[in-house]
Amino acid sequence: MKNYRYILKFYLAFVIVCIGLSSCKKNLPDARLSIANDSKYTRTVFEPVLGRSTLFSNIFQYGNSSRPLDFKILNMRTFTGEPAPELTLNYPVLVWKGVYNGTEKSIAEIEAKRTIEYHPLFEIRPHSGDLFMWAAANSNMIKAQPDSGYVFDVEMSNSGGRRYFQNMRLMPLRERPYEPSNLDPITGQGTAISVNPTGVNIIGERGQPLNTRDDVQVLFKKTGNGNSITFKFIDTLSNPIDPNKFAETDWENLVHGFNMVKDQEKVRFDVAYPIPLSGYPTRYTTVSGQQARVVFKFNRQAFGNVLQQCYLAFNFNIYEKGDWELTFWFKRDKPKFDND
Amino acid sequence: MKYIYTILVLLVCCMHNDALAQQLIKVTGTVVDGSTANKETVSGVSISMNDKVIGSTDRFGKFTITVPGNATLSFKLLGYDPVSLNVNNRTEISVSLTESFANIDAVTVTAGYQTKAKALSTGAITTVSGKDLQGQPAGDVISLLQGRVAGLNIQNNTGAPGFRGSVTIRGISNINVSGSGNESFLTPTSPLYVIDGVPIDDNTEFSYGFQQAGPGVSPASQIPPEDIEEISVLKDAAATALYGSRGAYGVILITTKRGNSRIPVVRYNGSTFLSMVPKLRSVIGGRDERMLIIQQILAFDTSRNHAIDMINNTPFLSDSLNAYYNNSTNWQSYFYKPTYNQNHNLSISGGDVRFNYKANLGFYDENGIQENTGYSRYNLNMNMIYNPTDRFRLESQLNNSVQRQRMGSGNGLLNSGVANSAQASSLLPAPSLYSSVNSVLGALTTDDDNKVLTTAANVNLHYDLFKNFKASTYLNYNGTTGTKDNFSPAALNNNQALYYAYNDRSNTLYNRTQVQYVFSLKEKGEDAHTFNLFGFSELRSSFFKSDAVLSDRVVNDQLRGPLTKQTSYLSSKGGTTRYTDTRQVAFAGQFSYNYKQKYVLDFNYRLDGLSTNGPDAGYKTNPSISAKWNFDREAFMDNVSWLDFGDIRLSYGSNITPNGNIYQAYGKYFGGSQYNNSSTVINDLGFVPNLKLEPTQATTYNVGFDFSILKNKFTFTMDSYYKQNDNIFRDKRLSTSNSFGSIGSTEISNVNYGWEFQATARPLNTNSPFKWTLTGSFAINREVLAALPDGLREMIYSDPTYGQDIYYRLGINSLSNYLYNTKGVYSTNADVPVDPVTGLPYRVGNNGLLNYFRAGDPIFTDLDGNYVLNEYDRVIAGNSQPQITGGFFSLLQYKNWSLEVNTSFTLKRDILNNFMASQLGSFGSPGSMGAMVPPSEFDYWTQAGDVSVYGNPFDFQRASLLNPFRYNQTLFQEDGSYFKLNAVKVYYNFNQSLTQRYGMNRVSVNFTAFNLGYITKYSGPNPENVTALGRDYPSNYPLPKQFALGLNIEF
Repeated sequence: MKNYRYILKFYLAFVIVCIGLSSCKKNLPDARLSIANDSKYTRTVFEPVLGRSTLFSNIFQYGNSSRPLDFKILNMRTFTGEPAPELTLNYPVLVWKGVYNGTEKSIAEIEAKRTIEYHPLFEIRPHSGDLFMWAAANSNMIKAQPDSGYVFDVEMSNSGGRRYFQNMRLMPLRERPYEPSNLDPITGQGTAISVNPTGVNIIGERGQPLNTRDDVQVLFKKTGNGNSITFKFIDTLSNPIDPNKFAETDWENLVHGFNMVKDQEKVRFDVAYPIPLSGYPTRYTTVSGQQARVVFKFNRQAFGNVLQQCYLAFNFNIYEKGDWELTFWFKRDKPKFDND
Repeated sequence: MKYIYTILVLLVCCMHNDALAQQLIKVTGTVVDGSTANKETVSGVSISMNDKVIGSTDRFGKFTITVPGNATLSFKLLGYDPVSLNVNNRTEISVSLTESFANIDAVTVTAGYQTKAKALSTGAITTVSGKDLQGQPAGDVISLLQGRVAGLNIQNNTGAPGFRGSVTIRGISNINVSGSGNESFLTPTSPLYVIDGVPIDDNTEFSYGFQQAGPGVSPASQIPPEDIEEISVLKDAAATALYGSRGAYGVILITTKRGNSRIPVVRYNGSTFLSMVPKLRSVIGGRDERMLIIQQILAFDTSRNHAIDMINNTPFLSDSLNAYYNNSTNWQSYFYKPTYNQNHNLSISGGDVRFNYKANLGFYDENGIQENTGYSRYNLNMNMIYNPTDRFRLESQLNNSVQRQRMGSGNGLLNSGVANSAQASSLLPAPSLYSSVNSVLGALTTDDDNKVLTTAANVNLHYDLFKNFKASTYLNYNGTTGTKDNFSPAALNNNQALYYAYNDRSNTLYNRTQVQYVFSLKEKGEDAHTFNLFGFSELRSSFFKSDAVLSDRVVNDQLRGPLTKQTSYLSSKGGTTRYTDTRQVAFAGQFSYNYKQKYVLDFNYRLDGLSTNGPDAGYKTNPSISAKWNFDREAFMDNVSWLDFGDIRLSYGSNITPNGNIYQAYGKYFGGSQYNNSSTVINDLGFVPNLKLEPTQATTYNVGFDFSILKNKFTFTMDSYYKQNDNIFRDKRLSTSNSFGSIGSTEISNVNYGWEFQATARPLNTNSPFKWTLTGSFAINREVLAALPDGLREMIYSDPTYGQDIYYRLGINSLSNYLYNTKGVYSTNADVPVDPVTGLPYRVGNNGLLNYFRAGDPIFTDLDGNYVLNEYDRVIAGNSQPQITGGFFSLLQYKNWSLEVNTSFTLKRDILNNFMASQLGSFGSPGSMGAMVPPSEFDYWTQAGDVSVYGNPFDFQRASLLNPFRYNQTLFQEDGSYFKLNAVKVYYNFNQSLTQRYGMNRVSVNFTAFNLGYITKYSGPNPENVTALGRDYPSNYPLPKQFALGLNIEF
């Protein structure tokens, strides 16, 4: 039995030596991520327009830092150094939960895809460093230009350490509720009363083709706080033109709206705001999906028995919810609907 | 036993005077193996009287000696218990030897150019007997060691005849990768081979200038398995210390057979073997292929009109009646076929203690299962030992081999020609001169002929200057010539045949002169303190030069020469492609001490100078220290009868291996054009000389534990090690502000640590008619990257072909894959994550409608959470190196039959299944022709709600945007663990009484089946048939199943 004990002792000694050997691991480097000097923001001044959600993406170069990285906004302060609680406290914002893809059959179905959550109005994506401003931010509470705005720092960290990017500037611009806009980005004052349509191919009654710069203008007007959009056409004397004269228009799919009401003077849809709802390309948007596109069309027989496909196209965004009225004003000449 | 010896010695002493007075008589007799069922005779048993060898048994086990009538004879043979007996005036004696168990004194171990009793050896050494390697024909004998030695990781990763797989001892020692895609290779770190005392390096010069990867003809492959006495694998620094200058990757000692019978013994081992084509991939043929593509386009194009337009614009889809497109060709059948092969080995050996010789004639011929490939080897190996007096010994050896390889249109390891054409569409017509699939013709008509001629000559002289002082010198010359002739017919090369001729020459001259002195201090009359001093100097000079010429204006297909009359330099394309000339000098010493063989202490010191070292690097010193405690010899263990032996070993030491070349250390100049009528000499700005270029140094700590119990019924060895490789070479790019391009830096380190277990059990009783031996090996290896150049913490090796980048990060395994993390397939559109800010779904690249993920697409992790998949979303995943390796062997003997089963396993290894990725990816381009795998072989997404492994392969319009079957994703990183049935061998030994009637001493036949199969979860064809970086690729050479029928005769 004694011998067994000896063997046991040897074995113990052996095990201890083995453990000693494996403790060499202590000298090995730990599997740490790296933080590199060449990681940087390629943009340090951010000028989002208030009233619309703005995402600043591809603004951070990872360089040789290893992913995943963690990002945080620190020290949000005004330009003079006072704290800025309006940007750090949580506010209700409208957050997407499902994909808006243009196939929704009702406003309720659209609204089911987004919900209200509480967030700070200016946030950072925790792992990519992308910055974004929610649409709920408005100039009543946020300092907008010409104010110097806000200053903030960003902390980047991973298990290898941390780095700070200091004195980044947030200088929001005042709301411009629609695009294209006739409002000055800094002052918010109108520099003109109307904007130009995107494309026109219509002959005037006086025989000249109409152009987008001078002959046709678009006027935006918010008439209430509902959920609708109305299109009107007026001639040089502000007399209404019957929308039905744009006979080839695909009225059902003009905008992603519901309950169309069309009469002699206007056409009206119930819609969800903003327009378009997201950047997803749908049949109601431009190819890139960034703007809604409406096209009003009619055909006429032109000189020499030629079929002339006439249209009036307008790409636009409306960010603010309300009863918006878009008026297409044939400023210098009436469109010629009749055959030659 | 010891008492018997003592008594015998006393008896001999007592009778000494009487013996002289006795009359001499002639004694004849036979020695048989008492442990065999039918008492086989034993040849080569040495017979000694009074410790002087007076003779040995012949091949029939018979002996005739003339001795005094009362002499005491002792019969000794390695592996058997010695027998002593008194003649007692008998003239006929029958002696029966029994196999020895655990007689550690008799077992010797050769390492560090010395042979020692096993009890005195302090290193971690595993020895495999040549007997275990018989019966299985192999081009490369090292491949037969798979799974036999714990810590020796062998992956037979190509089935190309004559090519060797990857061999590493205790993990990888180099982290460098070259090439890209499927042709990315890990710098091989094969161990140093020492064949009969002469070191031959495996890593530096590959045959045929194929320098990018490990495979090539291994120096070990010139030794046929039948000629091998034993192979020892030296793993720790104590064992490899004296092989310093190239021993950093471990050492494998190969000892060939010697003659030991006075009457010449002729042995014949022959076998014929059949190589079977393994299961190839299933392919859709003919009309089914066309209809599958048409259905796919109609179902998944963006619009029906576009689909119809696309089909009508694609002739092989719409023009189905065209004879060119109206076929069903099985391309694979043109490349693969089963082959019959042969292997013959004839050896003649004879002689006695004073003079013995052996000649071995071998022939091996294997045709590859791929058309136009094969390997043959002819070799003649001879050795002789002349021992005229006890003090002088002369050994000489001459090994010659001619090896011939045919590699078709590939380079042996890769045959992308075969792979590409085997992937040709079945709609195309069968191969002909007018076929559009040129690679078929390439694979079938290219004449490729490679020959390697190796000559190695050794002369060793030993002389005992005075008692216990031995001096010896080894001189070795090794010359290798390689040629490659590759002819590619005119039809393949714009009507001008192509001829490539290559030749290389390498020779090595090696000399070692050593002295050894042993002295002992006695204590109570027996040797107690034994000192052993050993020193040697080593010189090595090696030279390599390769030249190649490429003629792309060969006259015609029939006239393949002469290679002159080139139209311009550009068309001659010849010259010296590689030239190295290196010198190495080393001085080494060993001091060894033991106390009654209980405590053993070894100090080694080695000084190495290499011509490739930088001028400021100087000599490298490699010290090592090791100790061993044979605790079974302690007094308190005397009563422990069940323990045969037991010991604990400790060692520390370092080894080096050369780095880079002389240009990287000293810079390079070349002759430039004339300037002002005088020649110019220009400095090569490609790299700046590194004056401190150092060799790679491996430092190892090892703890070992061995024991054997119950008369060898169970033996066990365990080793635990820590091995640090410093100064790993890598070309480091310099800043572009510098006029030089790069510098050869040695700043990388990695660490391997692990545990190795080796056990042998003989569970049955010794007098049972069955004999059963079970052996198992098991090794765990962990590898960690410890340093990168310039103090970097991480580095990425980027792979432009498939994006399968390799991530080097300190603190984890060196060769990590850097992949997109795939977590399944989106079952429905609602599963795709939505950016809460923009309302847009997760996408790839731009804001196009097709870029957004939808149901049926793979789920890639969005690591940075920006709802856009990009290169920053990749994660570090997996380890391409096996972490656990080992094997089990069983040998069961019953009467004349024996059954051997060899298995091996590799666990915890990640494989990138590029094969699968390319198959699934091929559905993404229906407009181009290619072989189609039946989609039913995959579990793929078909409709919303499906939960599947693979995404929808048919969505071809989005495939180029999304790249759903991108190679660098974790979907194709699979567990490559496998359990392999290496070989099953059945032997039948004919009764000697029967065979001797026909003049044959011993006859046996065997049937061997090898490479039988794998147990694995891996979905590809073969988890072993992948590159050293763990990539399974379509152009690899499949491992054939082989069946051999062998005949072994001894005359």
